[in-house]
Amino acid sequence: MAEQGAADPVNNNNNNKPEASEGTIIKVTVKTPKDKEEIAIAEDASVTQFKEEISKRFKAKQDQLVLIFAGKILKDGDSLSQHGIKDGLTVHLVIKTANKAADGGSTSASSSASTQVGSSSTSSPATNPASTAGPAGPGSAPTQTPNLMSGFGDLSSLAGLGMGSANFMELQQQMQRQLMSNPEMLSQIMENPLVQNMMSNPDLMRQMIMANPQMQQLMERNPEISHMLNNPELMRQTMELARNPAMMQEMMRNQDRALSNLESIPGGYNALRRMYTDIQEPMFSAAREQFGSNPFSALGGTSESGAQPSRTENREPLPNPWGPPNSTNPSESGGGTTGSTTTSATANPSVSNPLGINPGSLGNGMFNSPGMQSLLQQISENPQLMQNMLSAPYMRSMMQSLAQNPELASQVMMNNPLFAGNPQLQEQFRAQLPIFLQQMQNPEALSVMTNPRAMQALMQIQQGLQMLQTEAPGLMPSLTGGIPGVPTGGAAPAENPASSPSAAATNPAQQQLMQQMLQMFAGGGGGGSATTQTPEVRFQTQLDQLNAMGFINREANLQALIATGGDINAAIERLLGSQPS
Amino acid sequence: MAQNNPSFSVKLYIYDLSRGMARQLSPVMLGRQLDGIWHTGVVVHGKEFFFGGAGINYCSPSGTILGDPDSVVDLGSTEVNEDLFMEYLASLAESTYSGDKYNMFEHNCNTFSNDVAQFLTGRKIPSYITDLPSEILSTPFGQALRPFLESMAVNPGGNNIPGQR
Repeated sequence: MAEQGAADPVNNNNNNKPEASEGTIIKVTVKTPKDKEEIAIAEDASVTQFKEEISKRFKAKQDQLVLIFAGKILKDGDSLSQHGIKDGLTVHLVIKTANKAADGGSTSASSSASTQVGSSSTSSPATNPASTAGPAGPGSAPTQTPNLMSGFGDLSSLAGLGMGSANFMELQQQMQRQLMSNPEMLSQIMENPLVQNMMSNPDLMRQMIMANPQMQQLMERNPEISHMLNNPELMRQTMELARNPAMMQEMMRNQDRALSNLESIPGGYNALRRMYTDIQEPMFSAAREQFGSNPFSALGGTSESGAQPSRTENREPLPNPWGPPNSTNPSESGGGTTGSTTTSATANPSVSNPLGINPGSLGNGMFNSPGMQSLLQQISENPQLMQNMLSAPYMRSMMQSLAQNPELASQVMMNNPLFAGNPQLQEQFRAQLPIFLQQMQNPEALSVMTNPRAMQALMQIQQGLQMLQTEAPGLMPSLTGGIPGVPTGGAAPAENPASSPSAAATNPAQQQLMQQMLQMFAGGGGGGSATTQTPEVRFQTQLDQLNAMGFINREANLQALIATGGDINAAIERLLGSQPS
Repeated sequence: MAQNNPSFSVKLYIYDLSRGMARQLSPVMLGRQLDGIWHTGVVVHGKEFFFGGAGINYCSPSGTILGDPDSVVDLGSTEVNEDLFMEYLASLAESTYSGDKYNMFEHNCNTFSNDVAQFLTGRKIPSYITDLPSEILSTPFGQALRPFLESMAVNPGGNNIPGQR
């Protein structure tokens, strides 16, 4: 007798109204993918009435609602008890969006339907060409390949075709984790004849790359890129590279070495910079929109096309408890900031990818690597990098692990080029470390650090304070303690108010420290990118350090720094070479 | 009433990520016996669905680099057709199962498989799979490894299902 009990007044009222009808009220949890609600309904209600309630609660139209219970779709004519829906049980709800493709029962129709479902991503239409372009084999292999190739940096726009990751970071992570979880996977895939087939077919590659709208835009803007694409020799070379990680490394190394040589030529630095801003940057932003990294900067030989000063290269360490520690982290940190370190096979190679992850270079020893140093140096010059880096979820967890492992953190910090030449600073920093780490954990701190303008503001504060220090030295001890109250970020770890007593004693050094840190983070943010600052400003921190070490000849210091590109150690050597003392 | 609805079988593919090493090494390393590091995917409508660091993915069954599953559990059948299921997944992908929500211990592929299995069939997946994280974390070694593991994600590849934005 469902009709009386399920009469309109009963179910059109609010759920908490007591019912005087025949059925008892049961509470059923209705769960959507996004949330869940508890709905009280008469035990013997029909599905239609249930849907009415639901449509009110979820603010959706009744015919958009699809209810599923125990694998069955609840039809309007059914009753709840018919399906065994009792008090306390959960019913699943899907709210259909208005535009749905026609029902596809067969897999082929459904594959197009499913790509329509995910139609917001530009990659999904491209998965079809990607999967159909690949030889008929396991459908996953061709689509995995583009994913892998992003790991190599070049041809990563293919990743745009194959994968639908929402953003660049995700792809990165995906890559890294995939490879980290099983390094064999990589070699397995590479050895997959399917993959090799595809990769040895330059036409296919070219097609796939060109299919990417981002790429097309890029090509319009930079005809060199299309030249590269059309040059079969180059394509083949690239694919060889992708196939052979060792060769890739070699190529990277050469590339970076060439670049650093360029830098030391008078006027070469400017040329590099120009190269970067004219070519790399638009490419980057275009590529980054899609999430691919610059696919062609890694290509060997042609240093004018898409090459970029390795100052944007990046090694992102990730903990890898199972991977080979310090595997293949050859480094040639020549020339300071442009010193580039190559990465292990699984990492994103240098110039192409600002967030090249280097899972192979992990483990404690890694933090001592020059890779880390150059990483930090580069970060200091590219705030965008910092932002990207910090916004990576894994970065956060790394911070966490750093926080929990102070020794690790101290190692990291010690290798920070800022501190490299200044043991006194190191000592202080080590003492401040726990506080620093706490602050790093603070999400506010992180957001401050990633905000270049905030950094800039901090910078200004710092400069103001410095001026104050020179004008009114007596004021400083109290003030240096007060500074960190303002910035919550890592910029002021060493000057935590709690440590102001010690700050007084080591005042100038800590000032310097903080200033350096601020500069490091905000150096790029202040007044545009680092590349537009004069060498003197850019090397301010190094100059100060040299000063503190006793090299008082500012001119000579500056020259040395310029010559070595900011590498303090090399600069010192130069200075010592010229000055007998 | 007559079963005039199409019915699709639902299976759970279970993979051991450690390829047997967990079974051998776990007593030594963890102090308790773990038979495997389980990764799961739900196979329905001719595709395998799983959740990884990049979000919800799907591919053809056994089509990930993990290859064939170590075991298959039959979860029953569902009336949910493919369209509806994809819609459901898309909705999940933009809410609770977007890529950034991946957490190796608490919100991983098995969590996803469990939810999907319940959606499709009303049944959960075997508990030894969902209990794995807590088992690991109950050992000191697991606790020590936790920060590292949390920064990782298993992602065997496949096609991504982005959320509708």
